[in-house]
Amino acid sequence: MTDIVRLILVAFCMQWAVAALPAGAVDFTAAETRKILRHGPWPQTATPDPSNRVSGNPAAIAFGRVLFFDTRLSASGSVSCATCHRPDAGWTDGRARSRGQRAVDRNALSLFNLRFNRWFGWDGAQDTLWAQNLRPLLDRREMGIGAAGAARLVRGDRTLSCRYRLAFGVAPGPDVERVFVDLGKALAAFLETLVTGRTPFDDFRDALARNDAAGRARYPDAAKRGLRLFVGRGNCAFCHFGPAFANGEFADAGVPHFAGSGRADPGRFGGIRKLRKSSYTLLGRFNDDPARTTAVKTRHVRLAHSNFGEFRVPGLRNAALTAPYMHAGSLKTLADVVRHYSTLDEERLHAGGERILRRLDLSAREQADLVAFLESLTEAEPRRESAAKPGTSPCR
Amino acid sequence: MAGRRQRGPAFAAALAFVLAAGAANACERPQGWTGGGKIVGKTWTVRWQSAPAAIPVGAHFSLRFRLCGPPVARVKVRGWMPDHRHGMNYRAAVTLAGPTGAVRGLLFHMPGRWQLVFDIAGAAGREKLVAETVLE
Ligand code: HEC
Ligand code: HEC
Ligand SMILES: [Cu+2]
Repeated sequence: MTDIVRLILVAFCMQWAVAALPAGAVDFTAAETRKILRHGPWPQTATPDPSNRVSGNPAAIAFGRVLFFDTRLSASGSVSCATCHRPDAGWTDGRARSRGQRAVDRNALSLFNLRFNRWFGWDGAQDTLWAQNLRPLLDRREMGIGAAGAARLVRGDRTLSCRYRLAFGVAPGPDVERVFVDLGKALAAFLETLVTGRTPFDDFRDALARNDAAGRARYPDAAKRGLRLFVGRGNCAFCHFGPAFANGEFADAGVPHFAGSGRADPGRFGGIRKLRKSSYTLLGRFNDDPARTTAVKTRHVRLAHSNFGEFRVPGLRNAALTAPYMHAGSLKTLADVVRHYSTLDEERLHAGGERILRRLDLSAREQADLVAFLESLTEAEPRRESAAKPGTSPCR
Repeated sequence: MAGRRQRGPAFAAALAFVLAAGAANACERPQGWTGGGKIVGKTWTVRWQSAPAAIPVGAHFSLRFRLCGPPVARVKVRGWMPDHRHGMNYRAAVTLAGPTGAVRGLLFHMPGRWQLVFDIAGAAGREKLVAETVLE
């Protein structure tokens, strides 16, 4: 029997098993159930990033946490990563557009579940988390200390150079760029640990998977109706796909993309061009994986006119904690986002040719249902994080 | 968990092959290949097999194929979602070695109906061969 025939038989059996579920208040068809199950299980097991030799290394995680909260990494000495990514605000800053040393064009992305990203930034201009972490250090609007400034700080500070040595096994060397990139890698090791916890949706999904009626009944009906819209008529799951509720790619969700001062934000179009110019990519000398196993995306990514005005599909876990929304923070609440999808301007949207989103014309109740579903993607007890606890490191 | 189901011509071709197994076939499956599909066109027939065998949603996969028919000068392989009217965000690279080829860099980034398209060109003309698959 060929694999394909076997696959079809298995699919048939599963379809039959799901169809045999007993009826509940809000019931899902076999096809809907299959779609819902694709959004889990959660948490997923994550493997270390092969392009970063300290990914998963406890000393690097500790070093990265210290760097994240250190304002000396900015030219002005007053801005740290945590200025715009506040642990108590879903790792964002609550502003529409962020402000560091100066104002920037975009909304601060949250820092959850980063290990599942294929690309980083709203425009995907970075192909690794460590390269993404270098960007604010170079951008004068954000922190702007620069590679040389950052390397000088770490070499000249006893505690930081001690932590560097613990993480990387050697003292910071003479190659400025290498020390600089290593800071991005230590920050990445820390940020990779920010994985969201279990949510009411996950409990429901797993109850559905093991056919547990009592478990399924605990999930509110409004969230169930919202979930049905999400995987069904709303078409949301085409883009917000998989356990992290993001397919890792880019789309035009009909959000205006003026960057202020009359300029348009080119989105993904600009992102691919930046990526190709950068030396901090998987194709460059800072990739720690000699086989370059994860560089396929970078080698094959395609630049197209339709990329203009496309932005990365954001993950939706803990989205309730990260208002305002969209790449420039143009929508204040989740209800505003749902209303946006409900009243889309289709003509403008389909100018690019792609037809996934359509004006949904949802009723008030349907909109509330979708919001209830989105809120059910919030973990019960978000983890508290802060600068390193003193006394836990041999470096003083 | 529900996996991917394959329907349409690709499935039909695979099934037809199973039924015809043993009988003389114009474009036999190369030794060691399992699964995949066969697309019969006017000028060319292509046999393909993906790795991994089940095409994933949102992860890179590669392909090998074998063409039967007149000599081939150029082959392009791409993906297309007819319902959404978009293709892949990646450009696949094809290396040809006589009638067989390898494709790297494919990525189908959403669930739904996808077409795997082979654009073939040679002295005998051009042909577009399409296999269809539904990813869940
Ligand atoms: C001025 C505010 C500001 C500061 C300071 C800042 N960020 Fe950001 N961060 C942003 C904004 C805005 C984005 C979205 C950027 C874009 O898409 O262009 C972002 C994006 C990110 C992302 C991408 C997340 C994703 O899902 O792709 C990461 C990771 C990140 N920042 C880490 C850091 C680290 C580490 C630091 C400190 C070295 C830092 N940020 C400092 C505002 C800031
Ligand atoms: C065509 C792909 C696509 C579809 C379909 C889609 N989205 Fe989105 N979604 C995006 C993109 C892209 C963004 C970011 C847009 C931007 O900033 O310009 C986004 C942003 C969001 C955000 C804001 C997240 C944040 O952190 O800023 C929410 C919430 C959301 N979508 C929910 C939904 C819901 C609910 C549906 C179905 C009604 C849906 N999406 C359908 C692509 C899509
Ligand atoms: Cu599509």
